[in-house]
Amino acid sequence: MKKIFVSSVVWVVALLVGALTLASSHEPKHPVAEKAAPRRQVQVPIKDFSLTDHTGTPFRFSSMRGKVVLVAFVYTTCPDVCPLITASMQSVQRSLNGRERESVRFLSITTDPEIDSPDILKSYAGRYEVDLSNWSFLTGDLKTLQPVWKAFGVKVERKARGLVNHTALTALIDGGGTMRFAYFGASPDPQKVLQDIRALLARP
Amino acid sequence: MEILYAQRCLGCHGTSGRGDGPVTSALPVRVPDFHDTVKAKNVVQIRKVIKDGKGIMPAFSPALTNSEVQDMVRMVRVVSQQGREIAWWEKFEPLVWAHCSVPWEFVLGYDQPPQEKGP
Repeated sequence: MKKIFVSSVVWVVALLVGALTLASSHEPKHPVAEKAAPRRQVQVPIKDFSLTDHTGTPFRFSSMRGKVVLVAFVYTTCPDVCPLITASMQSVQRSLNGRERESVRFLSITTDPEIDSPDILKSYAGRYEVDLSNWSFLTGDLKTLQPVWKAFGVKVERKARGLVNHTALTALIDGGGTMRFAYFGASPDPQKVLQDIRALLARP
Repeated sequence: MEILYAQRCLGCHGTSGRGDGPVTSALPVRVPDFHDTVKAKNVVQIRKVIKDGKGIMPAFSPALTNSEVQDMVRMVRVVSQQGREIAWWEKFEPLVWAHCSVPWEFVLGYDQPPQEKGP
């Protein structure tokens, strides 16, 4: 009888704690940021393009041939989703072993050329303490960037100065310049991305 | 002033400035509680963090005018002292979630995105 009483008390306390937790968790939910980015296998050849990197040096996408390239579309004043994408890429970068690092490149392409000059991109990379030895942050003028966004299927809508709504795409490109995997939304799972990178690296 | 906070701060800092906004569960770092940071800093120090960013927090100076930065300073101080109820937040919902949510444009020939497959 005593056991039943104790067990009942434990259940009542547990239910009360649960109810209180639910009642107090009134913070708003974020529809994109809270979900792991869905992953899709795709086959989209990406044509060559030219942009400018965070040092102000011209960058050609064709210079990445032979490398597996993780590309993301972000902007530096983004207050929610982009920081998650960049942090996720950084986690992938840090997980690569020495040999893999030789064969993998990282690109962050801005969706807000109005703000993101090479200097601002460099500061952004610095705040994240990104290893820039195999990671380029890219910008250009609007006319140069628009076809690049379109080639990847990224739509960009300027809402206000420094506030841009855009497709949250991270894409994995094989050594031949073809998009093979697309991750949509915030927080692409670094483990899945690593797995996909290693699968592409293993191919002849 | 409130819109600025709703658009650019709330995701991480939350309705009460406790660093428990909706994005934080996915962040690799802990967002500081305004009650520990803002309350301990003067206006010049707060303005500097907003303008120059810190860690993964964006640097807002390229996007905002000095007057907007000043409004943001005022608002984070208000939030750190008083917080805000959920009802206050709700009126800004469409603005807050205006970022990075455009679906993939199916210009690439994928009317129906392929199912997930192994590598």
